[in-house]
Amino acid sequence: MIDFIPGVSTTASALTAERIRMDVISQNIANANTTRTPSGQPYQRQQVTFETVLGQQDQADSASGSQPRLIKVARIQSDSRPPRMIYSPGHPDANAQGMVAMPDINTYEEMADLITSSRTYEANLAVIHTGRSMTMQTLAIGRRS
Amino acid sequence: MIDALFSQPDYVAAKKMLDATVLRQEAIASNLANLETPNYQRIDVAPSFSNELREAVANGDTEKINDLQPRLEVDANAVAANRDGNTVQLETELMNLQQNFLQHGVETNFITQDLLRLRSAIQGQPQ
Repeated sequence: MIDFIPGVSTTASALTAERIRMDVISQNIANANTTRTPSGQPYQRQQVTFETVLGQQDQADSASGSQPRLIKVARIQSDSRPPRMIYSPGHPDANAQGMVAMPDINTYEEMADLITSSRTYEANLAVIHTGRSMTMQTLAIGRRS
Repeated sequence: MIDALFSQPDYVAAKKMLDATVLRQEAIASNLANLETPNYQRIDVAPSFSNELREAVANGDTEKINDLQPRLEVDANAVAANRDGNTVQLETELMNLQQNFLQHGVETNFITQDLLRLRSAIQGQPQ
């Protein structure tokens, strides 16, 4: 199948990747105070890693110069930073010293990431809009304006 | 015989430029998609294409214009703005996007006008 809109598969992969990133960020913010996960440990901040991949039909002719690259989420990994210890003896998850291990999630950091992610999403939407207008212009070739 | 109508250097060159514009759109899509991928190198239409096209148009060499193929290559002049090694800059890329769109409009218009002129020549009456 021909891509009618130039670059649409690349942009679609970027929108999916940014969507996943936003999901992970909202999960981090939602769990900023979660002291117990199914494993019994406090919640660990999750982070996405992006990587580029060659599109399927591109792999065949990749010898003829550089090809547009798709993007995908390589993995979602836990941040290794240690939990914050907070003194709260009444807390059900407090240890013998009355300290509770809280996830070390900085809401400001997450919000900044969220804004970056949403700006990238918008930039990719702009590409789709422009690509669509270009296709309409191409279809109008030979018509009297 | 009819081929002669469509093999004027200007018309063939406009078609090639249209190919290059669509290819650049794909390059920009790729660059913006990988805006935050570490170590991604931005790609663009090879600068040699426009030089060769200009030269071929100046010589009026239709054969050579026809043989030219625009291709993408890594932009060697781009430098990474920060430490993640990514050479894409959002603002520049969005500017390129708009510029490329306008260029596409100019090229499609040019081709349309060429075809309409041919038609009015064939019909022998003003439009």
